[in-house]
Amino acid sequence: MTKTTTIEMHHIDKTFGHDTSKIQVLKDIDFTAQKGEMSLVIGPSGSGKSTFLTIAGGLQTPTAGTVTVEDTPLTTIPVKQRDALRLNKIGFILQAYNLVPFLTVQEQFSFVDRIKGTTHMDPSGLAALLDDLGISDLVDKYPSELSGGQTQRVAIARALYPDPEIVLADEPTAALDSQRVAVVGQLLHDLAKKHDKSIIVVTHDMRLEQFADHIYEILDGTMRQAS
Amino acid sequence: MYLAWKEIKHEKLRYGLIVGMILLISYLVYILSGLSFGLAQQSTEAITSWGAQSVILDKDANTSLQQSMLTKSQTDKLTLTKKESYVGQTPVVTKQAQHKNVSAQFLGLDWAQFIGTKLTLVYGHKPTKANQVVVDDAFKTDGYALGDKIQFNSNKDHYTIVGFTHNAKIDIAPVVYGSLSTWRDLKKLPATFTASGIISRDADYSTGIAQLKTYPVSTFINKLPGYSAQNMTFTFMIAFLMIISLVVIAVFLYILTIQKIPNYAVLRAQGVPSGVLVNNTISQALLLVFGGLALGSSLTALTAKLLPAAVPIAFNWPMLIGVTAGILLTGVVGALIPVKLILKVDPVTVIS
Repeated sequence: MTKTTTIEMHHIDKTFGHDTSKIQVLKDIDFTAQKGEMSLVIGPSGSGKSTFLTIAGGLQTPTAGTVTVEDTPLTTIPVKQRDALRLNKIGFILQAYNLVPFLTVQEQFSFVDRIKGTTHMDPSGLAALLDDLGISDLVDKYPSELSGGQTQRVAIARALYPDPEIVLADEPTAALDSQRVAVVGQLLHDLAKKHDKSIIVVTHDMRLEQFADHIYEILDGTMRQAS
Repeated sequence: MYLAWKEIKHEKLRYGLIVGMILLISYLVYILSGLSFGLAQQSTEAITSWGAQSVILDKDANTSLQQSMLTKSQTDKLTLTKKESYVGQTPVVTKQAQHKNVSAQFLGLDWAQFIGTKLTLVYGHKPTKANQVVVDDAFKTDGYALGDKIQFNSNKDHYTIVGFTHNAKIDIAPVVYGSLSTWRDLKKLPATFTASGIISRDADYSTGIAQLKTYPVSTFINKLPGYSAQNMTFTFMIAFLMIISLVVIAVFLYILTIQKIPNYAVLRAQGVPSGVLVNNTISQALLLVFGGLALGSSLTALTAKLLPAAVPIAFNWPMLIGVTAGILLTGVVGALIPVKLILKVDPVTVIS
């Protein structure tokens, strides 16, 4: 079966600062993500995982190298086009502050519909997603009324709701217990396998290892395929 | 608008305080404008009610009706049309045993001329005898009634109130309309004086007499004692208040926007266009300012109703629209100042 590439990163360098305070965070990274696959990017704190994720999602531009998302060269298109690409193709699961604090759980989803002008999931589909994540009874709650784990699960549902082709997750299981980690891991794995999505997870959490097709390790700014 | 409204609903106290601040600012501006207009109106009510276009005075009277005198030898040379009226003005203290004294402006008229014929009464009738007068209805609030016999200054003569008229004030004092002969009596003038001046509804009326000068009514009003100084004072107060309001509202909206930057960064990371966030900020500012203005104007209306009649407060639509538009504009400008911040929000800040 032919694999479809969603993200292609070639010879990515990322440097912060100038002259003596210059720090090279990423060095000559090559990475490819395919549809129907889940990739895990692991590494210690400060290794450049999050920088890698922001470049893959078009939030930052690399100092050198090219990023292509679904045949669109991210590094050369205008900001507005990058915004539209993120809105329509990429779902971000962020580690913290990733819900709008003054919207209820239900409104977090309807806001996406408002911005994009379409309904993304029928009520039964959304109910099933919320049920899978164990948050069906939280729809009328505000983020401030949720626990850390509940917030994280709502954020996952919020990212998956627009049915993005690519899901970029930054420590999606940081606040979850083992049981919930298994649920989230399985959900992301199923998204890749059953819905042909491309899932990239940046994490410390080795409990997700069993759900991944590929594992990459970033160490001192360089990436190697661990398995 | 959706995000703006949801946020206001969720953060009731925070946004309630901002609406409260705009309420107080708008209340203060409305009340000051009302007092300014009311006071200005009390200086000119009578003149405005006559529909005057020009005022003819002695050229050495410093544009003051009170200081001007037209002699009979001058007026004998004049031909007045239906658009001209003689007026004799003198300040008086009105006295009546049962009521408190009232400082007023006596205006002597020839009741056959246009000011007398066009005068609208709310009660009673126009004078038919020299000892009868018509007074402004401000006298009613001091207890004066139809048929009351009043005296002026230390004059022994009694005059009967036979009518009340509305909106008849000049130099912030209620007017007593009487005859030109009474005016002469009060000024202790001989019959060789006709009046203080001529009020004309014709902007181009000219006497042809070198000693008499025709002034446009606007010039005459601006020269009323204290009128320009008082209006300028109020205008400066309102202008400074508007500028201070702009700064205060802008500072509040700026702080609010800074507090929302992490939320905006999340939304930007998710691909929400910055235009949506800018619209949200501006529409939120408009909602807050509209809310504050609505409450401020309601409170002003209530205050105006409860204020004693002696407080000169009055409103007109152009003034209200101008003040409202001014505050609305300050709100929008205040909301636009932090827009640059929103446009520069870096979504990377929310990625650990």
